[in-house]
Amino acid sequence: MFDVKRFIEEQLAAITAKIDGKAIIACSGGVDSMVAATLASRAIGDKLLAIYVDTGLMRKGETDEVREMLQETGINFKIVDAGDEFFSALKEVTDPEQKRKIIGEKFIRVFEREAKGFGAKYLVQGTIAPDWIESGNGVRDTIKSHHNVGGLPKDMGMILCEPLYDLYKDEVRQVARFLGVKASERQPFPGPALAVRCLGEVTPENIVIVREACHIVEDEIQKAVANKKMEMPWQYFAVLLPTKSVGVQGDRRAYGRTVVIRAVASIDAMTATYSKIPLDVLDAISTRITNTMKAQVNRVVYDITNKPPATIEWE
Amino acid sequence: MKVYVIDNGGQWTHREWRVLRYLQVDTKIVPNTTPFEDLQDLDGLVLSGGSPNVASDVDAMGNNGEYLDKAEYPILGICAGMQFLSEHFGGRLGPAEIPEFGAVDLSIEDHKGIFRNVPDKITVWASHNDEVKVVPKGFIITAQSPSCPVEAVRSLTKPIFGVQFHPEVEHTQFGEQMFQNFLDIISEQKR
Repeated sequence: MFDVKRFIEEQLAAITAKIDGKAIIACSGGVDSMVAATLASRAIGDKLLAIYVDTGLMRKGETDEVREMLQETGINFKIVDAGDEFFSALKEVTDPEQKRKIIGEKFIRVFEREAKGFGAKYLVQGTIAPDWIESGNGVRDTIKSHHNVGGLPKDMGMILCEPLYDLYKDEVRQVARFLGVKASERQPFPGPALAVRCLGEVTPENIVIVREACHIVEDEIQKAVANKKMEMPWQYFAVLLPTKSVGVQGDRRAYGRTVVIRAVASIDAMTATYSKIPLDVLDAISTRITNTMKAQVNRVVYDITNKPPATIEWE
Repeated sequence: MKVYVIDNGGQWTHREWRVLRYLQVDTKIVPNTTPFEDLQDLDGLVLSGGSPNVASDVDAMGNNGEYLDKAEYPILGICAGMQFLSEHFGGRLGPAEIPEFGAVDLSIEDHKGIFRNVPDKITVWASHNDEVKVVPKGFIITAQSPSCPVEAVRSLTKPIFGVQFHPEVEHTQFGEQMFQNFLDIISEQKR
């Protein structure tokens, strides 16, 4: 079994030994980075500054939610508004690997600036095993470049500290619960955020659509779970496709985009099955999406693919 | 007990390491280019899965052949590891007639090796593009599926076992039991 107490002791000792001076930590508010931040904060206290980057690609209300969460922890933090920078770097980019590498690189540039400002030599990240496994290296194929691994440029001027390197999400959650980290049950959210849920070019208009669609999926599924209609999925969200199709709305022809509902059950994200969502819940999601965003979306489909052969996210 | 995992570049190599750790084994992931002399004093070895097309990409499989020839302790080959050992001992590989990604209905025929105390019919997860077409001499097929005739093999003369599917992933039933059986075989051999 996974020995949580021992892991925490070992990592606290390792972080203290490794970090001499100040450190910043990349903090998205997700369970991995919150656990890493909590461990680092316990080890080095106010020599740590947590940086949350608002990339403009986050979910509805996410920045406010994370701000509140960080305030409660008492960890030193700073919110960096970098939306314009990210959108401009992603202009006209459609290849998923390129998106990931660009985003990874932009994050690093933001962190380098903030580290300089704070006087930090170290960058702490909540990187976990699936991140580096799927990013590949000489011996392993690249399934997808994770933003905190594949996108790191070679000229990075900081020393990396990744206390959760060998863990899987289920193990991180055990650590989170033990430490009382509020984000312990939060569903996984990709580092590249909504950029990888928007197939094709990442424009502010497209992000608005997929942000609303994700919100609707999350809201309806959470309601269904509360009403005991289904089990809470491991991960559940919407994807916006560039595919357009014909529709009919109010006796008029429509030619709009397609949204995919994606929900999976998993334990460690390394294998997953699509969630068995009751049809009336799918109904509610579909109708709400196409009513709310009738000008942009007129079709909703449900992804019924396991991992393998698909991955959980679409990009 | 010391059982290492040979990294053939698989997505679930690290998961194999995790299962062994959970079973309280002294374990480490090592590159498949590690010379056998560094692995001499182990109690067992797991040859992990990997992405190489084993039949044509032999260079990507490093020293797996050396381990199979020189080790006297039990070896478990998973996916690409199993394909490699099958070919190494004289069998033949080829593209899978029906590739398998995800759930597979396994029918187990032989319960002597790593399938001790495992029911005849279970669900396992696989992810493979190639398969064993001809089983090497001295080996028997211990399990099959509707889409793949050679899902598992074992040697009748050496403690060598192979599975095409992945016992280390969460979705495979009795996966941990299979690893425990492998460890039990190691203990029995040591005595």
